[in-house]
Amino acid sequence: MKDIFFDLSVRSVRLNLMRSILASIGIVIGVVAISSMGMLGTNMQLQVKDQLSAGADTIVITADAVRMGPTGSSSSSSSSATGITKTQLNKIKLAAGLTSKLVPVYSTTTQFTLASTPGRSTVYGLNPDDITKFLTISNGTNIGGINDALVGATFATNFDLKIGNRIRIGQDTDTSRPVLRIVGILAARGMSSDNVNTDNAIIVSDDWYTNQYGGKDVYKQVNVIVKDINTIPDVKTAIDTKLNTDQKKPAVRISDASSRLSGITSSLSAITTFILAIGGISLLVAATSIFNVMMMSVNERIQEIGILLSIGTEKGEVRRMFLYEAVILGILGAGIGGISSLIIGYSVVSYMIGTTKYFFLPESIMYIPMGMAIGLMVCILSGLYPAWKASNMDPIDALRSE
Amino acid sequence: MINTPLIRFADVSKVYHLESGDFTALDHISLDIQDNEFIAIMGPSGSGKSTMMNQLGILDVPTSGELFISGRDVAKITALERTHMRRDTIGYIFQNFYLIPLLSAYENVEYPLILKHKKRDESGKATAMLKAVGFDEALSAHRPTQLSGGQQQRVAIARALVNDPKILLCDEPTGNLDRKTGFQIMDILCGLHSEGKTVIIVTHDPKIAEYADRTITLEDGRIAA
Repeated sequence: MKDIFFDLSVRSVRLNLMRSILASIGIVIGVVAISSMGMLGTNMQLQVKDQLSAGADTIVITADAVRMGPTGSSSSSSSSATGITKTQLNKIKLAAGLTSKLVPVYSTTTQFTLASTPGRSTVYGLNPDDITKFLTISNGTNIGGINDALVGATFATNFDLKIGNRIRIGQDTDTSRPVLRIVGILAARGMSSDNVNTDNAIIVSDDWYTNQYGGKDVYKQVNVIVKDINTIPDVKTAIDTKLNTDQKKPAVRISDASSRLSGITSSLSAITTFILAIGGISLLVAATSIFNVMMMSVNERIQEIGILLSIGTEKGEVRRMFLYEAVILGILGAGIGGISSLIIGYSVVSYMIGTTKYFFLPESIMYIPMGMAIGLMVCILSGLYPAWKASNMDPIDALRSE
Repeated sequence: MINTPLIRFADVSKVYHLESGDFTALDHISLDIQDNEFIAIMGPSGSGKSTMMNQLGILDVPTSGELFISGRDVAKITALERTHMRRDTIGYIFQNFYLIPLLSAYENVEYPLILKHKKRDESGKATAMLKAVGFDEALSAHRPTQLSGGQQQRVAIARALVNDPKILLCDEPTGNLDRKTGFQIMDILCGLHSEGKTVIIVTHDPKIAEYADRTITLEDGRIAA
């Protein structure tokens, strides 16, 4: 059965098609903003979670930030004495047990020159035997000689590096500017949870590192890779008891993927909420334009409303007619918005995140129906007052208006 | 009770409260209209004709006094009941036709049936009504703007009649029509009267008033004759 009031609404929308489309475009933009932003945020979170959980078996131990190196030892060495010492390393080894793998890491940032192009990047000093414990060499071989180096995937792509290329380390003004030979390129790691971000870095042997920068046996961090992920809390406690004997002034900071993960995801979800709110503002603007169009429709049809009321149309029926109009505008806007969100959201996620593998997951794609529902609801809410106004007109006054 | 009038004005007044002071549009009117009467209401502008029509059409209620239509005191029923009386008891024919512009001629006639039965008409009553005023199927598909004045008024009559009301209220029904078409419309109204309808017509035109059994002349809100 076709409802005559719905027919009347459809015809009214059709009669003022341009105006109706323009009002709906507001809803389209709002729906696209909400769903694309929501999906972007969620995809970002999902990707970070995925990347961080790749290092979920790793405990990272760093020297507590406030702890300073021994007094008087900082005069000649270029590196700070802040770090994990040899004694602490041995204690960690004892506490972590035989099944865990230990990776002591040196790191600093440096300038370098590549075929006369200067640059700046992180340098990691690792024992070549440790490298294969947690890094993957996608191309070339591991460090063999003292002047051998590995580079990260992004680094290699950016500078168009090949195996055998050379990097000159240090500034132009430095007296000693050693040359490293690239023997291997690492697989991309993304944002890793173990604080070793190799994608844009140079990896050298620990011997070369301490020759160059000094600070032997004072590590920036020590990564403990456990065999069984469930033992992480126990291992953390063991290390904590062994090293942080004074709980008021802890010597080292111990963190694992889950604690770092919760920090990052909570800030990411705050960002998502923020960008969703921006999308919400655009819907608010859309609501005013729908309200405006509905009020125009009511004011243009005062006499028609008078006719309807005078020949026995119930107030509820007049209200329904105008609410249908708002619903039609809403369905139009939300429908086009939903389809556009799929296309625009997919493009935005693919461009901003670099991958769309999380796009169709329920927690991401749900933003499209959610955005559509909000858009439709905004339309109906905007139509409430105009519909109420139409239904409460005095039929005599309404008939008289021209 | 024997001979209960169809419409009874019992000391009805209508006062409008304006910024410039109160304006009495109807001043203590008492009047009975019987079933199947043909009444013409005449009078100069501002005499209260329109106010009286609004009272008869249950679009408004008296300030004082009582108005009974079909035995019901219109001031004492709910707004929804008044709406239903407008739909079922009264057929309204306006000078400006007042067809619904977004609906075709057929849909305009079908509309009161939909209001009453809450569904599209399947009885063929709307088509029959249109046929009675000389509309075929092709013409019935036209929107009001595509019809002449005379044609629009025929559609309005069909619309007013489709729910089989007891009372036909005609507010200057020939006012916007040429003389010939006006008389054609009056012939239709006369026919309806002879079929048993109560016809009440407001007019300026004494020639039109001649069709009526009884003429009521209003002056300053009172019945002058």
